[in-house]
Amino acid sequence: MEPWWISLIKAAVIVNLVMVTFAYLTWLERKGLGRLQNRYGPNRAGPFGLLQPIADLVKLVRKEAFAPSSAIDIPYILAPIVSMFTALAAFSVIPWGSGWRIYHWNVTGEVVNVPISLLLIFALGSIGIYGFIVGGWASESKFSLLGSMRTCAQLVSYEVSLALSVLGVVILGRSLSLVDIVHRQGQTLPFVVPQFVGMLVFFFAGIAETSRAPFDLPEAEQELVAGYHTEYSGMRWGLFQTAEYVNLITLSGLMVTLFFAGWHGPWHLGPVWFLLKLLAVLFVFIWLRATLPRLRYDQLMRFGWKVLLPVATINAVVTAIVVAAT
Amino acid sequence: MILASAGNVLVWIVWLGAGFACLASGVGVVSFRNPFYSALALIGNLGSLAVLYLLLSAEFVAAAQVLVYAGAVMVMFLFVIAYVGPRMEAPWAGGPSWQSVGAVLAAGSIFLEIIVAVSLKAGGRLAHSDHVNGTFGTPGWIGRLFLTDHLLAFEITSIVLLIAAVGGVILGSHTRRAA
Repeated sequence: MEPWWISLIKAAVIVNLVMVTFAYLTWLERKGLGRLQNRYGPNRAGPFGLLQPIADLVKLVRKEAFAPSSAIDIPYILAPIVSMFTALAAFSVIPWGSGWRIYHWNVTGEVVNVPISLLLIFALGSIGIYGFIVGGWASESKFSLLGSMRTCAQLVSYEVSLALSVLGVVILGRSLSLVDIVHRQGQTLPFVVPQFVGMLVFFFAGIAETSRAPFDLPEAEQELVAGYHTEYSGMRWGLFQTAEYVNLITLSGLMVTLFFAGWHGPWHLGPVWFLLKLLAVLFVFIWLRATLPRLRYDQLMRFGWKVLLPVATINAVVTAIVVAAT
Repeated sequence: MILASAGNVLVWIVWLGAGFACLASGVGVVSFRNPFYSALALIGNLGSLAVLYLLLSAEFVAAAQVLVYAGAVMVMFLFVIAYVGPRMEAPWAGGPSWQSVGAVLAAGSIFLEIIVAVSLKAGGRLAHSDHVNGTFGTPGWIGRLFLTDHLLAFEITSIVLLIAAVGGVILGSHTRRAA
């Protein structure tokens, strides 16, 4: 058992690490999208445009945060904060390494190891949705409200498939703790091999859950301006955007942890492996965005309920039968 | 020793905070005029109940409470309320005063009943502490209880929920055809 202040230090380190990953994910996304579309992408601020995220941050912080006069103050201001908080908090249970011995303290590879960490991530995610709904509602704008309704319907629909797709991993890992699941994959093999279908369902549901292209209907510009954050500006808008990207990072981290053996890899590199796998998954998300056009809304709903959900259910049932039979 | 008592103080603070939040949000649910705020207060109520479950070392129940009730179910409430109309007046706002008097009386009598039942059962041993073993409240332990001691209740609940889902689909498709 480590003293509480070590957990605090780790929390501070990991929050900052996630924020830096977020900042350079925006750079990677703009640069990658640019190259995939035969453009340069950001290349003015610093070498290769590497200072672009910092310039963006300075711009956002200095921008006036105006609000519609009819906006409902307290929910309007609290909504981005709730989204941001739940997005960052979810990362606290994802293990980065096997743990280290620093001076004479044993430091574990995650901020907290709770026996139900997987449920905790889903619970935080379901609270984070309220930021999007309440923000859109409190803006008192038709576009915001329609955007938040879409976000709500899409996230709730795909949350079911997302939760069902990890059941196979939970059955194989015999635990809801991410630390145990990673350890078990280190002993046997990454769960992507026996749970390939589960991985695919998790990935598709994850795209919808983070509102990424081709499932970015909550923010379909042609139809509803910018979705639930139409009436937000400055750093309040920045918080929503950060929450979305941090959710994407958390989801990718969860995918690496559940299906690709987390920090395990040759030569005991620990966090380096985790980061490399995380970047690989994030790049696939960016790649998809540059490749596929947006779906129609009814196609999205039909795919979620009539394809993903049955596949996820059958996958969980088959896994349970196989595990019980062997 | 000092650390242990500091931990106890922390538990008391969290307990008082969660209990107060629970009562305040419960009052908020029935007294807000805007149903959107009522729903938000209900989310707060479910969340503070989850904190109380955590203090009873029932982590799984707390997480399930947040995930299922505060998350999935209340999202539907907010969805409907936001769709039906922004800043809509609550349909029951300004109802007859005998309704609120009756509600207060009913709530008071249930509260009294709980106090009587608890004190009869506990018999003045409310501070009685029980030892909790390591498997208490774990998902595996709860799952085993569901499939052994409480199998009948568990299965009946699942059938009731299934009937409700089928009924919802039938009602929805019926109105669409009529319109």
